[in-house]
Amino acid sequence: MNVFLRELRMYRASTITWTVSLAGTIMLFMSMYPALAREIDDFVQILAGFPEVVLKAFSISLDTIGLLTGYYAYVFTFIMLAGGIQAMSLGLSLLSKESRDKTADFLMTKPITRNEIVTAKLSAALTVLLITNAGYLTAGYAICRLVGTSDVNLKLFFMISITMLFVQLIFMALGLLVSVFARKIKNVLPVSLGTVFAFYIINILSSATDDAKLRYLTPFQYFDPNRIQMTAQYETVFVVLTALFVPAAILASYIIYNKKDIHAL
Amino acid sequence: MNVIEIDHLTKYYGKTRGIIDVSFSVEGGEIFGFIGPNGAGKSTTIRTLLGLIYPTSGSAKIFGKDCIAHGPEIRRQIGYLPSEVFYYDGMKVGDLLRYSASFYRKDCSKRIQELAEVLDLDLTRKIDDLSYGNKKKVGIVQGLLHEPKLIILDEPTGGLDPLMQQKFFDLLLEENKKGATVLLSSHILSEVQRLCDRVAIIKDGRIVKVEKISTLKESNYKRFKCEFTAMPDANMFSIDGVENLTIDGNVASFLFRGDVNKVVRMLATLDITDIWAADPDLEEIFMHYYEKEA
Repeated sequence: MNVFLRELRMYRASTITWTVSLAGTIMLFMSMYPALAREIDDFVQILAGFPEVVLKAFSISLDTIGLLTGYYAYVFTFIMLAGGIQAMSLGLSLLSKESRDKTADFLMTKPITRNEIVTAKLSAALTVLLITNAGYLTAGYAICRLVGTSDVNLKLFFMISITMLFVQLIFMALGLLVSVFARKIKNVLPVSLGTVFAFYIINILSSATDDAKLRYLTPFQYFDPNRIQMTAQYETVFVVLTALFVPAAILASYIIYNKKDIHAL
Repeated sequence: MNVIEIDHLTKYYGKTRGIIDVSFSVEGGEIFGFIGPNGAGKSTTIRTLLGLIYPTSGSAKIFGKDCIAHGPEIRRQIGYLPSEVFYYDGMKVGDLLRYSASFYRKDCSKRIQELAEVLDLDLTRKIDDLSYGNKKKVGIVQGLLHEPKLIILDEPTGGLDPLMQQKFFDLLLEENKKGATVLLSSHILSEVQRLCDRVAIIKDGRIVKVEKISTLKESNYKRFKCEFTAMPDANMFSIDGVENLTIDGNVASFLFRGDVNKVVRMLATLDITDIWAADPDLEEIFMHYYEKEA
């Protein structure tokens, strides 16, 4: 419990920053919706002038962009990108931070098992993600209610928004796995930015080319907000993939971390 | 009873040598020195004992229990002070010590106060703002606050002024009197000589010797220094037992181990203006070990 609380305190500032930024971003984007909705015909006309591949790449659906949930689904892809970076950074730094800050010797010579350390840190990370998502959801729902002309489709809003948590879990588990393999990660942000953007580019390619196989390679395609707002359901195969990958990566991290040598400073 | 038993411990980092076939035991209640040049494998041995790294082969037991399998349980009774101390950013000294104490199932607040007072450490300051020596003090308190039965120190005195060193040694001796066993790794021979009952000497990853300090000191080594009216032929000194012979003008000095009469008889044939004979200090004996193996 002491390690868990210590970790929470350590991530307090960054959690607040991330939550406020995500909430602020969605509020900014959604506050533009009324203006857009008023002149939706002109807007769609302009968009229609773009090559189809560009519209696809950026997940713009001409049929639904004028609807509240349609516009929200489009904007949400950027939120997901930011959320992915937060989660990947979190996963990468959880265990590697102790080596980087040279506190590993302090922590690991205490009467505590490696499993207990991973569990405590993982619980803290999960708490951080839950807080971020709760903050985001609240802000997102409030702004949608505010700008929506009709009643907001709560189910769709929730179905789309909660996928940020799922994608974040994937990135956090991935970051954790990478961090236990690496001997030392000097700087977390370049690694997490690089990885998440790489997946985002695969995502764009996959959308633009309609390549079904590419979709499996990037978590950003697992819960496609456009599809969700049109079909009101998740794709089973990707739900299963997520449900398999996250526990597997976490389990592997436990196993590897238990065998890992903690090197001197 | 042996508090530490190291049994043929070997550690390779990939292909790089850490330690090879290290075996020695530390008895309950003793202050055991672990000495060797930089890179000899002192820290590798200690880190294995603490379960920070895993041995390639061999094993080590602390309190009779395997230090890997029963690591967390064993560490309940171990206090560790690393050679370099870095602690979480933005924490105050008191916060860190309370965090450290929270890992042990007992109330350590009184002990923290005591130790901080002895070492003259301000608990309200931020660790980031502390000098190297003061950070070291935080490390000492952190290592001793739960009154461990085994204290492991890895080159602990760097950064402490002589007065603080003395206080620190007094603390260690006090803990030792209360029953704590101490394993002190160092390359500073005088502090080992002052504190320890026995030492293990490690070089290039292997234990060269495990010996009582008192035995080392009285291992019949004598340091001779003679001034002659005229320097005799260097061959005169090639008696069994003469080592480290240096000749500087009319002065010859050497270490001798064996029957002193042989040297006296040899010297009696020469014309001497002055002579010194003394026990060598530990430094000389250790240098001797290091060099012989090189």
